Amino acid sequence: MRCGIEIHQRLATKNKLFCDCSTQIVDEEPMGVIIRKQRAVAGELGEVDAAALHEYSVGRTYIYQVFPSTTCLVETDSEPPHPLNQDALDIAIEIALLLNAHVVDEVQVMRKTVIDGSNTGGFQRTAVVGLNGFIETSKGRIAIPTICLEEESSGIVGEERGKVTYRLDRLGIPLVEIATSSDIKSPEHAKETAEKLGMLLRVTGKVQRGIGTIRQDVNVSVEGGARVEIKGAQELGLIPKIVEKELKRQEALIKIKEELAKRFKKSKPGKEKAVDITDVFSKTSSKLIARGIERGMEVFAIKLENFFGLLGTELYENRRFGTELSDYAKANADIGGIIHSDEKLEKYGITSKEVEEIKKKLNAREKDAFVIVIDEEDRASKALEAVYERALQAFEGAQKEVRKVLPDGGTSYMRPLPGSSRLYPETDIPPVRITKERIEIIRKKLPETVEERKTSLLKLLNEELANKLLVSENLRFFEMVVDKTKVDPVLVATTLEETIVSLRRAGIPVENLSEEKLFGLFKEYKSGRFVKAAIPEILSFVAKNPSKRVDDAIREMKLEKISKTELEKIVKKAVEENKGDKKLAFNRIMSEYRLRVEAKDVMHILK
Amino acid sequence: MYSEEIERMLEKIGAKIGDKIRISKRGEVYEGILMPKSEFSDKKSIVIKLPSGYNVGVRYGEELKVEKLEGHKKVGFESREIELKPVLGKPTISILSTGGTVASRVDYVSGGVYASYKASDLIKIVPELREIANINSKFVFGLMSEDLTVEHWRKMAREIAKELNSKTDGVVVTHGTDMMHFSTAAMSFMLKNLNKPVAFTGSQRSSDRGSSDGFMNLVCASLFAAKSDVAEVCLVMHGSVNDDYCLAHRGTKVRKLHTSRRDAFKSINDEPIARIFANGKIEVLNKNYKKRGEGKVQVDDKLEEKVAMIKTYPNMNPEIFDFYIEKKYRGIVIEGTGLGHVPTTIEKFSLIPKIKEATENGIAVCMTSQCLFGRVHPFVYANLRRAYEAGAIYCEDMLPEVAYVKLMHVLGHTKEREEVIKLMLTNMAGEINSRGSVFE
Repeated sequence: MRCGIEIHQRLATKNKLFCDCSTQIVDEEPMGVIIRKQRAVAGELGEVDAAALHEYSVGRTYIYQVFPSTTCLVETDSEPPHPLNQDALDIAIEIALLLNAHVVDEVQVMRKTVIDGSNTGGFQRTAVVGLNGFIETSKGRIAIPTICLEEESSGIVGEERGKVTYRLDRLGIPLVEIATSSDIKSPEHAKETAEKLGMLLRVTGKVQRGIGTIRQDVNVSVEGGARVEIKGAQELGLIPKIVEKELKRQEALIKIKEELAKRFKKSKPGKEKAVDITDVFSKTSSKLIARGIERGMEVFAIKLENFFGLLGTELYENRRFGTELSDYAKANADIGGIIHSDEKLEKYGITSKEVEEIKKKLNAREKDAFVIVIDEEDRASKALEAVYERALQAFEGAQKEVRKVLPDGGTSYMRPLPGSSRLYPETDIPPVRITKERIEIIRKKLPETVEERKTSLLKLLNEELANKLLVSENLRFFEMVVDKTKVDPVLVATTLEETIVSLRRAGIPVENLSEEKLFGLFKEYKSGRFVKAAIPEILSFVAKNPSKRVDDAIREMKLEKISKTELEKIVKKAVEENKGDKKLAFNRIMSEYRLRVEAKDVMHILK
Repeated sequence: MYSEEIERMLEKIGAKIGDKIRISKRGEVYEGILMPKSEFSDKKSIVIKLPSGYNVGVRYGEELKVEKLEGHKKVGFESREIELKPVLGKPTISILSTGGTVASRVDYVSGGVYASYKASDLIKIVPELREIANINSKFVFGLMSEDLTVEHWRKMAREIAKELNSKTDGVVVTHGTDMMHFSTAAMSFMLKNLNKPVAFTGSQRSSDRGSSDGFMNLVCASLFAAKSDVAEVCLVMHGSVNDDYCLAHRGTKVRKLHTSRRDAFKSINDEPIARIFANGKIEVLNKNYKKRGEGKVQVDDKLEEKVAMIKTYPNMNPEIFDFYIEKKYRGIVIEGTGLGHVPTTIEKFSLIPKIKEATENGIAVCMTSQCLFGRVHPFVYANLRRAYEAGAIYCEDMLPEVAYVKLMHVLGHTKEREEVIKLMLTNMAGEINSRGSVFE
């Protein structure tokens, strides 16, 4: 197998890469939308990129949501980009140095054609900052050929029948893209490499944290297969599964290729066309088809010669070759889905008599398969053309393509793999020379390595907590809190790595706990306003009420620590009520005032 | 161009732009295609395109070694003329290319976008143009609009007239956007007896990007030229920030009001004539337009070139007029403030004596407003009356740029003051609208 990964990490700069909009995505309503179209254009060398053309043929309309603090004319492709954000470039240089890379002498911003609408300009701006780096892993050195600084794309909101909605708030946030060579040894090794890179990025303390701020793409191919780029793995844990499934998929496609070679020993597949078979269903009991026809749609089918049984072939658990055909048709013609002859057609209410009639119309024999699409004529025939094209591709085994991750670690087809001709210079941005002096200033301030970090953490925490923090995105924050508030490091670490995790598991919206609020918590704690036991209560209150502060939580939930004089009164009363039984008194007090007193204080007074 | 040192080295090893090269520097090795240097990049860096498609600059120095490898890639866009067979029953339009961003490519020598497309290249990129009409395309010149002169207008007018007098149903002119409204005004005055639509269009965002507004502008302008019955010179560009529709603005009532937005052009003191959707629908918004007709279009290319524009502003030096008087200019258009004011009462700064002097020297001094919206008026305030009495001709609701072009046209025909005044205040090509609209 050959496997490489690409990491995309958002940088924690104040402003975006090419404009002065904020990089902080806040929970605000869009002010409005703009509607755009895009089409394929020739690249720098005069070639029109295949991926670009593909997307154009789909003919989509793009709807972009505009947000008050994070969208200006630059994001809407209504104003040329402002000069490259130099803070972002410094961070990219720092990361390149940490990855032992050579920093380029002159940064040339390029336009990378992306015509899926995720960028309003029809391209993503990207620049190589570092070349020929590497990272050490348990299975040896992994080369990092390129480290790029680029702009984040827009976030997809939804898609329906040719209309794709994107949000522009994240468009233009600086990203570093780290691409490894394809020397990764195993699915688990892919995960380890991603984890190592993630850790290295976090120790800089200059990268964004939280959901969606880091993404992994995985490139996989098997011997005799094809390079497939899998987009958007957000969870590291899923990476081994993604790789395994892709390996299985490509192996299964190779088997299909071999089977087809057997079936087509002497002949070649003929050219097939979509056939209108609507009248087969004039009295159908298939609800799905009847409903389609009622809505003015037509039923089309195409024959796939000698494909009988292949569409039902399992590629990996719960994915069959038929699904590949379906994905391809969906991507090309924006249809709802397909029905194919290797499925149990009764489940759609299609009778065997209807099947016979379809076969007759298609001139199909026993060994042939067929695919049905119910849609408007144009869309249906476009979809079936795509099905036919994908079926022909099966003669060559796996295809070079871009796929997207599904929640189970499986993948589905997105678009063909773009070529290098999709890059051409961004002439609105002059090239930036990186001087030796600039590199040296950054080199002198490089953060500690991961190993150095671990040694210093072990001085504060036990091994388990130290290891947790090392791979955590909270590492920098932890250090800052301990440094500034002087709160017990163990309490800070357990709050960040354990308390918040269990709150999340309990369904509390912990993503609302900003660093600012967490910092406030530790500061108030240090001043003695509440006790340790109250922390989970305060955090869940603040998480559930994002407009409230820690101070509000303490007041509104009455969580103030009981003063020493009052506690003495309470203890005295409890001892009296329990007729001098100190143990009973203690239990009584703790059950009533657990969230407002420290057990050791109660014990102390009881003594 | 690279620095002399680099050029010499490249020549020595026989490497040309597009050749595959290997650069070794302190143990680092780069292989890729030698690219042209852009204007802004460091002269001492060699730009190569890596196999990944990225360009990087490698700084040239003693420790650097360059080798030429086998292989070459052609860099740049190749224009190919295509043979187009006419389809019967479809309208025919002519697309005249004069340059601008709608017809531009990235230029690696200057580093900027550069006008280089031919109209037939546009058809290749916007194939739906052929669904709309049979297209005759002609490359007139390839200039950014800021470089256009009166001579270019004359050529443009002749080329447009030639097309209109052939078997075409309408003409589309692709043009740089910056001065497009000057050209539409000029064509409005220069093309007499216009009988078919003439649609100027361009793009605000270069056509080398998938998101360029130029594609839809070209489609809408072609639809307008092929199908509308408006026999006027119009400017057809995006009507909003969306790619939803274009507006056809009257050529004498439109101005560029934004540096980069796609809906940069707005009709001023007039309603746009029509709204055009890319799907072919044309909605008439303003019924006051000249309809298609018969006859032959004539070019009237008499233009007086000694006409200038002066903008008023606080603390300005009135001596600016001396230059024009001395150089024997024949017309001056003042962009006054508000209703048509110029600095008046403080002697040192007053333009009144200069207006008087210019007028006495046979210069037609015309007054417009930098407000753009609304009409000038010579009587509301005393200071207005003083400029009027000094000889300023108050040009109604004409845009300053339009008054400038019109004055060239008028002075091309007569220098007689009374005649000039009469013609300047006569509506010739929709440039004067006697009824101001209440809502925008």
